[in-house]
Amino acid sequence: MTVIPAFDAGLLRRYDRPGPRYNSYPNPAQFDAGFNGTAFRDAARLSNDDPIPRNLSLYVHVPYCFHPCFACGGNQELTGNRTRADAYLARLVREVAMVAPLFDCDRDVTQLHLGGGSPNFLNAGQLGELMESLHRHFHFAGAVNRDLSIEVDPRCVDQSDIEALAFMGFNRVSLRVQDFDPGVPVADDRMHPVKHTLGIIEACRKNGFRSIDVNLIYGFPGQSRQAFGRTLESLIRTRPDRLAVYNYADLPQLFSPQKPGLATELPSAESRIALLQLAFERLLVAGYRYIGMDHFALPGDEIALAQEHGSLQRNFLGYTGQAESDLIGLGVSAISHIGDTFCENPRNLPAWESAIDSGRLPVCGGLQLNADDLLRADLIQQLICRGVIDIPTLEQRHDIHFLAYFHEDLLRMCDLAIDGLVETSETQIQVTSRGRLLLRIIAECFDRYLHQPRAEPARLTSAI
Amino acid sequence: MSPPAIRSQRSSPIADDGDALHFCSTCAFSEVCLSQGLDKSALNELHVLVEHVGPFHEGEHIFREGDEFTAIAAVRAGTVKTYVLDPSGQEQVLGFFLPGEVIGLNAIHQSRYPCNAVALDTVMLCRFSFPKMALLATRLPGLQAQLFKLLSLDIGKAALLAGDYSADERMAAFLVSLSRRYGQRGFSPTRLHLTMARTDMANYLRLASETISRVLRRFQKDGLVLVNRRELDIQDLPRLQELAKSVLRD
Repeated sequence: MTVIPAFDAGLLRRYDRPGPRYNSYPNPAQFDAGFNGTAFRDAARLSNDDPIPRNLSLYVHVPYCFHPCFACGGNQELTGNRTRADAYLARLVREVAMVAPLFDCDRDVTQLHLGGGSPNFLNAGQLGELMESLHRHFHFAGAVNRDLSIEVDPRCVDQSDIEALAFMGFNRVSLRVQDFDPGVPVADDRMHPVKHTLGIIEACRKNGFRSIDVNLIYGFPGQSRQAFGRTLESLIRTRPDRLAVYNYADLPQLFSPQKPGLATELPSAESRIALLQLAFERLLVAGYRYIGMDHFALPGDEIALAQEHGSLQRNFLGYTGQAESDLIGLGVSAISHIGDTFCENPRNLPAWESAIDSGRLPVCGGLQLNADDLLRADLIQQLICRGVIDIPTLEQRHDIHFLAYFHEDLLRMCDLAIDGLVETSETQIQVTSRGRLLLRIIAECFDRYLHQPRAEPARLTSAI
Repeated sequence: MSPPAIRSQRSSPIADDGDALHFCSTCAFSEVCLSQGLDKSALNELHVLVEHVGPFHEGEHIFREGDEFTAIAAVRAGTVKTYVLDPSGQEQVLGFFLPGEVIGLNAIHQSRYPCNAVALDTVMLCRFSFPKMALLATRLPGLQAQLFKLLSLDIGKAALLAGDYSADERMAAFLVSLSRRYGQRGFSPTRLHLTMARTDMANYLRLASETISRVLRRFQKDGLVLVNRRELDIQDLPRLQELAKSVLRD
């Protein structure tokens, strides 16, 4: 089932262009601003009405950071003022109390992810209060069957913080790591001391965290192969269970801490691809499996096993081995995916605050998926998680004639077939080893919105 | 160019539509009428008012308790739920009506509907004026027999679940009954689209909502069914039938 990817720098260079990341289909850029709390309530009610309602996943967004993180792609507010955290927490707790009763109480929470920003901007006491409120309003699955994860900025925690997180029940940690090597990114003024970050990883292991995920950012201005290689070596030695390598997204119009004008100092596409190749080769040699998109995992990890069994899923929280669930997003800019509905909270803090203060669900955008969206979402999910499009399954599930329905999409895919990224037969479209690193490009052929003028390319990140 | 429309939703079986001359494929009466040599135009001549009505959308009421009874109606597409409200205002689900089945039969002995009927999805009906139909039945023994048969089926359906059965038996009987009823009308007997909400199923089967899910999960684990949201595939019909035997008494 798992096709080992082949690294071909020339090929990657040729397809190096902006594209969606397919954490969802359609992309949030397609959301309709007319959505509100009524749509959210309806979606929740409908999801309760299923004969076996899905389990729940929770995403809680904490927008604050101590430091402007050079590579941050998340919605964030810089502040050193911790009292803002108290105010934010109080509103989060109110949102939890508003949202939770909309879901039947026999629906277990199997996944919780705290992201940001830096969730550890909230101190242990505040995080404890948040967890207490979530446990009071939702029913969590037993400890063995739930993933409670938190994104941690290793610069802002010490060993005792990690101990406190473990005590609160967190069993997965996601560390955002920029380059360790102090000689490198000139534009970034705060380095991760190698020792400190490695110490945090050690502390997570000691405190029984089930999984340590590292998000490693590459492609900074002036980043050298040698320095990046050293960073990789130090990290690989700690054996994180999952490792994602992200290209530094140059989108200053969306992510304010990134300085405009940096684009000229960024490494060329060639050097960027060379850095990726380095990461790719080192990780495979070290025994990691390539999962898809930017993600690698150790062979025994849940997502590597799920990939083997063909049960891998991808949602807003990334790849997961958990069964499909309904995702509830809490906090500013959080997105919910309930049944066939997406709902989005305001991206701007005052709008979210005023909704909560007036006792309204803060939903301000979203999308009701139609039959075409559902079909394409299913297809793209198969492609990105299993590397194959199974034609009879899609035809049966969605009652279509595949070739007729996807005539134009398949024409778009012709060049990719000629380049050997996919192999097609009557019953399936199989991603080849050459195509494994270009899943996004293949998926794009089937993205109806990309081929309509409505799509907004400005919000997309580079394909590689 | 926009993509071709998705042809049809497997989720909402619709009968082959009849017209001025032909009966719908699911028609509850076509067989007896035809066997008596009455085609649709002959019925028109007899002034039996047969009227296609709808669509009714999800949540829309077709009739309410106490409304004047003038017609019975056959479901052509969609699912209709009938229910009453008990003195404390709690809903009691009486039954679900699939394409080809007739609603309003329980109103015959009074001049008013004794329950509410609501569309669970997009519902199309075929309405028969009852006084005219009753008159016709006096002339067509076959039609009369068919009416009695439908009436007794309706009474039987309500009585079945009143006994002291386990949750598994109730659920199995419910699924086998849906399977048979869809099968009889030419739809797939193993791939069911459950249009009714979990709470409706629970209410009808006199079980808790959580029990519905628990039993279905267990059935799924045992390889009896496969559930994906509202789609339910029966994987082992013989075993389900075995479980349902005591309830369905066959």
